[in-house]
Amino acid sequence: MAGPLHELTVAQAGRLFRSRALSPVELTAAYLARIAALDPALNAFIAVTQERALAEARQAEEELGRGHDRGPMHGIPYGLKDIFETADLRTTAQSRLLAAHVPRRDCTVQARLRAGGGVLLGKQSTWEFALGGPSFDLPWPPARNPWDLSRSPLGSSSGAAAAIAAGLCPAATGSDTGGSIRMPAAACGIAGLKPTYGLVSRRGVLPNAYSYDHCGPMAWSAEDCALMLGVMAGYDPEDPGSLDAPPADYAAALARPVRGLRVGVVRHWYEEEVRAEPGVVAGLDAALAVLRDLGCRVADVRLPGLREFGDAKTPITLSELYALHEGDLKRRPDAFGRSLRYRVLAGALVRAEDYVQAQRWRAELTAAVGAVLEEVDLLVTAGSFTAAPSLDPDEPPTFLGAAVPSITGPFNTTGMPALSVCCGYDGAGLPVGMQIAGRPLDEGRVLALGHAFERATAAGRRRPAEAGMQGAPAPADTG
Amino acid sequence: MPEPRPATREEIAVMARLAGLDLSPEHFEELVGAYANLEPMLWRLRRGRDRADEPAHVFDPRKFMPVDPGTGR
Repeated sequence: MAGPLHELTVAQAGRLFRSRALSPVELTAAYLARIAALDPALNAFIAVTQERALAEARQAEEELGRGHDRGPMHGIPYGLKDIFETADLRTTAQSRLLAAHVPRRDCTVQARLRAGGGVLLGKQSTWEFALGGPSFDLPWPPARNPWDLSRSPLGSSSGAAAAIAAGLCPAATGSDTGGSIRMPAAACGIAGLKPTYGLVSRRGVLPNAYSYDHCGPMAWSAEDCALMLGVMAGYDPEDPGSLDAPPADYAAALARPVRGLRVGVVRHWYEEEVRAEPGVVAGLDAALAVLRDLGCRVADVRLPGLREFGDAKTPITLSELYALHEGDLKRRPDAFGRSLRYRVLAGALVRAEDYVQAQRWRAELTAAVGAVLEEVDLLVTAGSFTAAPSLDPDEPPTFLGAAVPSITGPFNTTGMPALSVCCGYDGAGLPVGMQIAGRPLDEGRVLALGHAFERATAAGRRRPAEAGMQGAPAPADTG
Repeated sequence: MPEPRPATREEIAVMARLAGLDLSPEHFEELVGAYANLEPMLWRLRRGRDRADEPAHVFDPRKFMPVDPGTGR
């Protein structure tokens, strides 16, 4: 082994398991020790399942030892965002409303990961119901960014991204309604994939907004996301939005050649409509040069404006959110964190006809992006406009997408797969991300380009300094 | 079509009441602040479209048949 255990990728650990150079128990114990040492400052976990993890690791070791191989997640430790329901294990959505919620069944994703031999390390922090945050008025403090504890890992899959970047787990599940996998991935310098809408089951995942919710993998690399997606994806008759699509081999797709791919750069989103920070633009420019060196045909394209996507998304998601939370908002509004309540309340005032018009607009926008994807194979744009922002307990809640439109939300509106990979570091050494998006169910090509990019560049290989993770951030008010 | 004007606090209070919300003064202020961000999005959505333009939600009755969790059928 070339480096420390916590820097192994899923793919590397799997190879070492199968050559008997490493045992799942050894790897799990290493992660548990790091969680105990570093998570008090990071707040990436809401609950750590130590005994269960060691038991699952022992089972994996025994099974692999006798040749019973359950696949690429067998023996691999992972975390679950705390909106993924787990049988007999509290699932809180980081909310006072569900502080005592113990589901009877595993969600489909957890059932698949468990059947695949994965080792559950624990439940990871999120924004309240995957929307309200970062919040200091919830029962659990918000996660902090391991690259700089005074900064946010963004959200809402905050704990997952922070934990992977800090080496507390090699992989985790995330959910993405407007960017909640890709934004934290970009802010923490890791990879995260929002698959095609319906490719990964939402059954048993506490909803944010039904028609925009996606579940997906988060890990250090596109390769690991491919391995994890292969376990997570598949038709689920218990999810009405589930796609009955033929199974795909995402790991095999990584080997597909990228030379000659037509890559459309959506530059006007991050250079005209919103001026991204210089470090982000520099990272993108360097990444596009790498793609050209790989033989891709790179050219700018134009898509509808970011605000147009926001106009379609916000009335739909707000209406669905309000419908979900109406009863609690009327009965016990003070049980909500301020950020979630602020973001949900206005859903009460969206008229039914506005909801339908937004759905018609969503259809038009999806067709418009689809037309551009007839001309190019993949789209590339920034993963965010800035590096990780500061985590300020006194900052008032914001209305998402109002002051600055979302650069991740368009691919939730279209339901198309979008991957965030680290494409560089700004002047302060903070990671910045690049999104790669493709046609519906073209995850293989999206991941192949991400994988080729990661192999061709040093971006994404840095890890945050451990000394920085042991600092003492300002104590959070846990309300 | 006349230029839309922002809803007044009184109009927002009426809409909230019609929605069944009985808000504290603090929560009403939150609603007023949030609606000021939402309202321009709704204005931009309210424009003429072809009658044949279908919304993006498509109903498939097969997706809502009972499923046995044990067998998945």
